[in-house]
Order: sequence, then C-alpha cells, then structure tokens
Amino acid sequence: MSTDKQKPASSSCIACGLRFRGISATRIILWLGAITLVSFAIGFCILALSGNFPPTPGHDLTPFRQGSTLVPNTTTVPLDGATVGDVQLTLGAGDLTLQGSAPDDALMEATIFSQAAEWQPELVQTTNASRKFVTLIEKGHKGKEWFAVDSPNRWDIDLNNKIPLRLDVTVGAGDTLVSLGSLNLESLAVHTGAGDTTVDLGGYHGGRFDAVIKNGVGDLTLRIPKDSNTRIQVHNGIGDISDDHGLVQHDDTYMTDGFNTSLAVNEITLNQGVGSISLETV
Amino acid sequence: MLQTEQEYIRILRSRLEGTLPHDELDDILSDYTEHFRIGKANGRSEEELFCSLGSPEDVAREIRATHFVKKAEDTRSCRNIFHAVLATLGLGLFNLVFVLIPFILLVVLLFVVFILGIVFTVLGPVAFIYSVLQIAGIPAFAIWLSPAAGVFFSIGITSFGLLLVLGDYYLAKFFYRIGIRYLKWNIGVISGTECVT
Repeated sequence: MSTDKQKPASSSCIACGLRFRGISATRIILWLGAITLVSFAIGFCILALSGNFPPTPGHDLTPFRQGSTLVPNTTTVPLDGATVGDVQLTLGAGDLTLQGSAPDDALMEATIFSQAAEWQPELVQTTNASRKFVTLIEKGHKGKEWFAVDSPNRWDIDLNNKIPLRLDVTVGAGDTLVSLGSLNLESLAVHTGAGDTTVDLGGYHGGRFDAVIKNGVGDLTLRIPKDSNTRIQVHNGIGDISDDHGLVQHDDTYMTDGFNTSLAVNEITLNQGVGSISLETV
Repeated sequence: MLQTEQEYIRILRSRLEGTLPHDELDDILSDYTEHFRIGKANGRSEEELFCSLGSPEDVAREIRATHFVKKAEDTRSCRNIFHAVLATLGLGLFNLVFVLIPFILLVVLLFVVFILGIVFTVLGPVAFIYSVLQIAGIPAFAIWLSPAAGVFFSIGITSFGLLLVLGDYYLAKFFYRIGIRYLKWNIGVISGTECVT
C-alpha cells in the first residue's frame, strides 16, 4: 500500500545546480558578497573622508542627500559708504543668475537656494577706503571638490546699478545667466566649467571695461549693445561661432559697427573650450 | 454504510482514478484486495476490516496526498509542490492552519525577496548613472552626499540585488526540501504512522 512505484523523476532546471559558463553559483555568490561588502566599505570611507560619516545629530546615516526642498536665504550686503565695489562669486555647482537690481544702499543682495543649511555659501566683506570687497564662495568648493561639492544650489544675485564694479564670477558646473546691462563695470571676469553660459550686456551704458569670459564645456552666448564701442577677441576650441551680422569680423576679432579705437573701448576676450559661441547684438 | 468489499474497492478506485497512473492504481487496489482476503482468512468480518482501514474516502485522500508529495519530491516544480499542499489540505481542516498558512507565508517571503532583488539590481545602475552625472556637475542628478561614494554604493547596491535574486533561488530550494519533509511528517501523523515512505 504505498505509492513508491513511481517512475524515476525527470530532472528539471530547478533541480540541477546553477552554473554560468562553468563558474559555480557558490563562487558567484561569494564574489557578489565580496563586491557588495567592499563597495559599501569604500563608499563609507569616502563619506568619512568628505566629513559625512559618522552622521551628525539631525542627520541620519544615509549616503543620500536629505531634504529635497530648496530653502531660500537672502543676504543683503550694504554699501557702507563705499563708492566702488569688488565682487567675487564662486559657485561650485549650481545655477547662477546675476543682474543689477539691488537697492541703492546695498552693494549686493544674494538669494541662495540650497538643499541643506551646510551648503550655504560663505560671505566675506571688507572695506578699504572707498572700495568694498565682497566674496561669496561655496564652502564645499575649497579643497575636497571631488568628494563633497556639487550641491544643487541656485544663486540669484542682485548688484548695485550705480557704483563701478569689478566683478569676478566662477561657476564650476551649472548654467550661468549674467545680465549686466544696467550695471556700471570696471572689469568683468566670468569663468565657468561646464554648463551653458549667457552674458547679457544688452542696454549697457556704464563705463568702459575689460572682460574675460572663459567657458569650459557648454554653449556660450554673449549679448552686447549695438551702439557700444566693443571689440571681442574669440579663442574657441571645438564648436561653431555664430553671430547675427551685427558685428564686423576680422579673423578672430569681432567689433561693433562703427568701432573706433580713439574712443573708450570695451575689450572682451572669449575663451571657449567645447561648445558653440553665439554673439548677439541688441 | 458499506455493504461489501467490492463496494469499498469501487469507491477507492473512483476516488483515485485520474490522479494516479493506471498501473500504480491497480497495484494499490490489489494490495487492498489482498488485505481483505488475508483478513477474511484470519476470520475477521468485513465490518471489522472496514473499521480498521477507515473509510475509502479517507484512504483515497491519504493516498492522493502521499502520491503528490512523492511526486513533488521527485520532480521539483512550483506546480508539484502546489498540488502536494492542496492534497495535504484535504486531509483535515486543521491543515489550513498547519500547512496552508505557513505555505502562503513562505511564498510571500520568497516573492518579496525576489522583488527586492530585482529592484536593487535595477536601481543600482540607475544610481550609478546619477553618480556619474553628478560628478559631471549636473545639479539635477545630485542625489548623493558624495558622488564618488555614490559610484561605489551603486556597485554595492547592484551586486546586493543580484545576491538577493540568487539567494532567493537557494532559499526556495531550501524551503522546498523542508516543506516536503514537513508534508510527509504531516501525512504520517494524520495517517497514524510514524513514517510515510
């Protein structure tokens, strides 16, 4: 009275051991386990090197960024009687929008959108006689770039329209929109690593200035007023140059119509790595 | 109320037909016929023999359960273990608690581990791409505290996912083996024997 008299069962795929190209499943499991452990160990070591491990109070143990809401923080830098400004902005990664609409008694009004409080930039301001120096720098940008920068920041910067300014803008990665038409510039330096950059000087009627614009990877747009006396020296790497025929070209030099060296000249030097350059007159 | 040995055998046959192969069914029925013959030769009445064997419906259920468990043991497949569990459920209502619930819990556990494995295996490469894009400096993809660490965490997540999928396979094999033993023990307890072979 038994049911033992069954025929031998045929072997199935599930019954036989897993083998992949001659490597046993046990070995694969051991390798996967080792890779998992080593990967996580290295990951936590890097977090420790970048100061994110062990977790601080209020921050859980996670390799991910916490909080997805951008929190704005507005800071106003007063003029304090200064008649000339020197502004230096350094953003490791993020989007920068710069324009001239700060209050008359302020040199700069900066609104910083950041996902975490610790990524708020460092503000340094000093006054030397009539010149006021302001430096706004992303803290993570100093040293250890590879480990801790790249905070998804957005900076909206308003500058004073009246006083002459020396402006130095550095953006590691991200889109940069610099609208300078209403400003009064002494000099301009824009350095961007990766991302699209737009420097808009449309409507500019301030003093003469020299400008250096360097863009690593990304498209660069330069907008200048038609009626200005501007000369643009272009050094481009890989990419096209286009202009809207409002400029006169001589080799790598572009000049506004009616350019006259005997008058005050705005000199702009463009250095482009990879990406197209668009020159526009407005 | 059973009247004769033939009626007993007829009911047993009708309950087992379609479940067991014909030759096996014939063997079992001949065993029962022999059992009756020997019992009668020893002076026992048919009623006594009916009483000692149990009802043909119960005997048929027990044979079915044993058959399906044996089949699941010989040929491992989801279908076979499912049939074995169903056949064992027929042995008594209490097996809803002692067989069905543990079976469902194990299936859910294996399913969850498998899904987790798939999710990790898929998310790992996605997180890796995010790390690379974050290193490239694209803020929209900045999900990691450190993109360099993210590269290694992504690799770890992927391999952990693969580990879960593979581990799920071996876990399933382990539970299958344990499950068969448990079903055999269960049938043995119900049929009143220590061991069902």
